[in-house]
This record gives sequence, C-alpha cells and structure tokens, in this order.
Amino acid sequence: MKVKILRQKNPFSESYWEAFDADVTEGMSIAGLLDSINYNDDIVNDKGEKTARIGWECSCLQGICGACAMVINGTPALACETFAGNLKGDEITIRPLSKFPVIHDLLVDRSIIQENLRKTDVYIEEYKPDSSKSKSKKEKEYLHQYSAAKCLKCGLCLEVCPNYAGGENFYGALFANDCYLVASRNKEKAGEIGKMYKEHFGRGCSKALSCMDVCPMKIETTASMAKMNRQP
Amino acid sequence: MKNAIIIGSGISGMTCAVKLAEAGVRSLIVSPFPAERSQSVMAAGGINAVLSNPEEGDSVACHVDDTLKGGNFLAGKNAVKGLCEGAQDIIRYLEKIGTVFTVDENGAPARHSFGGQSHKRTCYCGAATGKQIVSALVMEVRRCEAAGMISRRLWSCFHSALIKDGVCYGALFFDESQGRLVAEYADAVVIATGGQNALFGKTTGSTQCDGYTAGKLFMQGAELKNPEFIQYHPTTFETAQKRMLVSETARGEGGRLFYIENGKRVYFMEEKYGPKGNLMTRDVVSREIYAANREVFLDVSFLGKDEIDRKLPEVRDLCKKYRNIDIAKEPIPVAPSVHFFMGGLAVRNNHETNIKNLFAVGECASIYHGANRLGGNSLLAALYSGSVAAKEISERPSPESKCDFADYCKAEGLKLEKMKESKSQFPVMYIRDLAAQTVNRNLGIVRDASSLQKGIEDLDYYLSVAGRINYDSSVMMYFNYSLTGILTLARATMTSALERKESRGAHYRSDYPDADDSFAASSIISYDGGAYRVRLDKEREYES
Repeated sequence: MKVKILRQKNPFSESYWEAFDADVTEGMSIAGLLDSINYNDDIVNDKGEKTARIGWECSCLQGICGACAMVINGTPALACETFAGNLKGDEITIRPLSKFPVIHDLLVDRSIIQENLRKTDVYIEEYKPDSSKSKSKKEKEYLHQYSAAKCLKCGLCLEVCPNYAGGENFYGALFANDCYLVASRNKEKAGEIGKMYKEHFGRGCSKALSCMDVCPMKIETTASMAKMNRQP
Repeated sequence: MKNAIIIGSGISGMTCAVKLAEAGVRSLIVSPFPAERSQSVMAAGGINAVLSNPEEGDSVACHVDDTLKGGNFLAGKNAVKGLCEGAQDIIRYLEKIGTVFTVDENGAPARHSFGGQSHKRTCYCGAATGKQIVSALVMEVRRCEAAGMISRRLWSCFHSALIKDGVCYGALFFDESQGRLVAEYADAVVIATGGQNALFGKTTGSTQCDGYTAGKLFMQGAELKNPEFIQYHPTTFETAQKRMLVSETARGEGGRLFYIENGKRVYFMEEKYGPKGNLMTRDVVSREIYAANREVFLDVSFLGKDEIDRKLPEVRDLCKKYRNIDIAKEPIPVAPSVHFFMGGLAVRNNHETNIKNLFAVGECASIYHGANRLGGNSLLAALYSGSVAAKEISERPSPESKCDFADYCKAEGLKLEKMKESKSQFPVMYIRDLAAQTVNRNLGIVRDASSLQKGIEDLDYYLSVAGRINYDSSVMMYFNYSLTGILTLARATMTSALERKESRGAHYRSDYPDADDSFAASSIISYDGGAYRVRLDKEREYES
C-alpha cells in the first residue's frame, strides 16, 4: 500500500511529502506500519531511493500515553490505535499535528499545553469536595472526574478544534476538562478557576464539539462545560 | 541542601520533586517527554496499604511478611518495614492532592485482592491507578512550579553523571532541541528513570524505558543489585506493534489456562496445582506456560458477556482492539513476557547509591522487592522511595566542595561530534534489535549456563562494535550515544544471572533448579574498567 508522509528534517526546514510502498498486514496499526518502514537496514521510498528513518514519538503503544498523536487520512488520531485495515481508500496519508511546531517529521512540540495550564494555575491543591451534594450526584461526578483525569494531553482535541489556533488565548477542550477536575475536587478553588475557564475557554468555544469525536479517552467535554458554565 | 536534579518524570521522580519543594529544596526535573508519556501511566492494578480500618486479621506486619516472603527474603527487613509502615500516609497524601480513587460507601478508598497477598489491601483507581496518580501529581508539580520550587525541562536526555572521587556533582544532558550537551550542577542528583523493558524490544512496558541511565551510571562506578531478577508476566499476547498485557484480574475472575492435545483442552495448571492452579504466582505460571512448549490459551468465555462487560471491560477492549478477539466467545492466545525489574541501582535505605549525593528511586532502584515483586507494591515503592530520598536530601547540609567539569563536558561534546562523522556497516537501531533478540533468547524465563554464556559472547561482540556504529541522524542523538550503556547493563544482568547458580524467585536455572542457601543474599555487581565483578551481599552492607 502507498503511504504518504509529510516530512520535515528539523524545526527550521521546509516540509515535503515522501511516499513509501509498505506491506500492510492484518491488524497492523499505523504505529506498526511506521515501525515496519523504519526497522530495515536501509529505508527506501517508493522511488527506490535511500532515505532517512521517519521520526515519530511513542511510549506505551496501547492508547494510554498520547505520544503518537498525528493526522491520519485527514483525521487526528493516535497511531497506535488506528488500524490500516479500517482506513478507506488505497493510500494512507500521515502528517504531523498542524497546531504545534514541528521538531522532526511527525514529532511536534506540545509544550504549550503544559505552559498554558501552568500560567493559569490549574492545580487542585487540596481535595475539598462539595459535601452538600446528594449521593447519586456524587457518584455521577465521580465518574466524570475519573474520566477527566484520564486526559492524555495528546493535543488531538486542539488539532481538530476550529477555535484553537496556537494557544495564545483560547486553550481548548483539555483545558476545560482540567478546569472541571480542579473545580470539582476543590470547591474553594472553583471561583478562581471558573474565571480562567471563561477567559480561556468559555468565551472562545463555538461548540463544534469535534473535540469529543477525536478524544482517545472519550472524555465528555460537554459535561465539564455544563459544570463550569454554572460557576458564578 | 539547596537544589537537586531529578532525572525522569514518572511517579517516583515527581513525588521526590514535590516533597523536596515542600521541604524548601528547589529541583529541576529533566525528561525527554512530559509525565503523561511515562511508564507510570501503564500501572493498572493498584497500590497496597494497610489502612486504619484493615480487613480482619490484616496488619502492617502482615504486609511486611507478604512482601518479604514474596521476595524470597532477599529484601532488607528495615527497608520493607519502612515501606509498609509508610503506606497509609501515602494513601492519605494521594487523597489530599485529589487523586480520583475508587471509593467505598463511606467515601474512603476501596480495596481489592491482589496476587500473593494474605489480605485485601490494594487501593485502586478503577483500572487506571497509575494514570490517576500521575494526573494528581502533575498538578502538584504545577503548583510547585508556580511557587518557583520546581522547574521542568523537556527534550533533554541523560548523557552521564558528573562524578569525581565517588561524589556526584550534577549531570550532563543532551538537549535534543538545541542539539548540544548541557551540564547541570546540583547538590543531589536523583535517578527516576524506571526499568529496562525496552532492552527486551517491544514488550509490555514503555518504549522509553531502556535502562541506559542505570547502565551508564554502572560504567561510572555505581553498583547494581539483583539485576538477574526479572518478573515475567504470564499472560500477554502478541500484536503487530508490541506485547499486550492481559491483567491478572482475568485469572482472578476465574480465567482458565489450557493447551490443546489430541484435539482436547488440557487445563495444565489445574491438573498440576489443583483448582486454584491458574492463580499461582506469576513466576510459576510463566514457567509452566514455557514448559508446555506449545500454544497456550486463556479462557474467560464461560463467564458470559454480562459478567465480562462488568468485570473485565479493559481486557475485553484490549483483545477486541488489537487482536479482534471476542473474549466472550473465544480464548486468548497468551505467552509470558518481561514485565518488571526487581533489580537495579543498589541503594541504601535512604536511597543513596554508593556514589555520594547520587540517589535512585522507583523501578530503577533495587531495594524492596528482593527476588520477586508483590502485585500492588510497585506504585507504593515509587511514591515511598521518592519521599524517602527527598527527606534525606532536604535534611543534609549543602556540600561544601564544588568541582568543575568543563574539560569533561568539552571532551564528551567532541566525542559526539566525532560520532556524527562515523561510517560503518553497523546501524545503531540494528544492534539494539540484535541485543533485544539476545536478551529474550538467552535471559528468558528458564536459563542455564550455556545459554547465558552464549548471550554474554553475543553481547561482548555487540559491545566491541558499539563504539564504531553508523551514525544515524534520523533518530535522536540519544539513540546513537546510548548503545554502549544499554549493552553494558544487559551484559551485567547476564553475568549476574550466570553467577547465581541456584533458582530463587523470578530467577530459574534449569541446571540448578533448587534454591541454595549459600546464595541466600543479594547479588551486587560492579564495573571495573570492563571487568564485571559479582559478589553476594551476605553482610547486608546496603541495608543501613
């Protein structure tokens, strides 16, 4: 199968497309596909020319660390849980996330995610839940807190978001979910974090909600929004 | 002490940094990628602690006994006692910082049973305990960053420690974003780089944990302890990209292991060990699957779809996603795979190595698990060790002596420049692959002298060519310079396994199938200009 990859040598060089002829075996994920291209003594492109190994980031290879986020056939996804056999068409295109600076090939610098959370003091500090809530409400909240805390900070929600540009003022769905986690785990910080939420998410979100479609952890950002929008 | 460098941003490293900050010590956390990518997020099961309302009959003493027994009495009693006594405070701390624990009807952390334990004492966060703890600790690190007590540096890989006359003064890093070496000086250096899964290729753990840091420090004079004790998880399955782990919960819920003989299922664990045979300890099950010498399956289908959906959703999803296996209808083909390293950098009870001011915490340190680890004790040890090292560092006065390593840094920089010009027939990733094949083949579940010796010969050959590899500019510089350290760690492990002429815990020798009292002590291995020297720590010199 033809695999086209948008490559870039370093942060300062131009990007270019390079194609490979790859054997796609049953059950092979895009991570497995990249590995199969890379793990040869000589890497050759579809023209038979020797070329450099494809740079990409991975760690867990089972969808729980967020390292291998990229854009596959136009859809932002994790390479380790996107399977070649499930993709339509007779070629696969892979490019790096476009909302972050490219370091090398498919590796991008996502440090803006941590930077924005740091600037806005998104931390719980101390567990002080709202104890006045009913048991059933608490249980429901617990499930959403558990889900929100599974956020991988992979950046897929930012990639697909029509409102997220470079993270200058609008910080995207992952920010909204972390704000929810802080507000719900520490009621004393709810007001303060609510202000940050409004400034860096609430005002800018046009509710396209495509973030939820691509989230590998299936976090219901709308549930976080509902809670945060109720903050005074 | 005034400042520390922490290498690695998993649970043990972050804990150490936060505890240092609380004690007034500034730290710099260095790792190539953020905490969300660390292997800590993969720890699913839970964290052991005897809380103030234990299961009837349980006590801290029971937890100590289980841990020591699980480790075949190689772990130090005082260290294990400290670990188990500190467990309740650790759970309280995790609750305080907002970790989303699974809770009981009173809102307290719920507990479940776990392998090798006499009582129900494993606290958990659904099936994502490690991830939930990482999420809580990341926020704590952020709080300390805001207070100016922690700074973080990404895209930087460990190169070497700055050591002179048995004292550590800092570390040298390769900054991949700037393409150059950067030296950092500190009053203490804490290694929190995890185990060495990736030394074995793509196994159940993270591809980031390759053991280079431990290997390099070993070459620089740090001693290793018990590297031959490697825990194999019995139930993993192959995919096109790695081995996936089927949680012990599957057998805990009644899962049965079998193979096919003459068209019939043979439930070999039950035949040999009785009705509870499938729940024997990980080392026993792994060896039996190995001994079966044919394809083995794990069956949970008899539980029915509803029960599987309720009790094993993660196993169901994993098998469906990566092998298109519907576990409600068909069995899972399983085989053992490398999972956890009981051995690592030798540390005293305060987590200092034999190099002054150089500490090691988490899986890269060897202290609590002896010859085999109890399920639920790895997360506990990660948090506890980070706290212990932080306490020790914060209570020490700042070292008076300073040392300048400018010449060393310059020389290492020139070596890397020279490496860029190298041309040979040996690409670095190719040798890493060969080394992974060697350790898998010769350092497996069942070992013997001839296979270990053959493995050592192979590794010596790779080491002989590691200095003249073909520089590969398309991978991180780290991959190019890390090869020798990784191979040296593998060689040390193989040597230690060869010297332990007995079977104990996770180390099984077919030529010495029984435990031998004369080996009832930890192995300590040191590196002396290319010579690997193994001794048994019968005097328990590290237990102080």
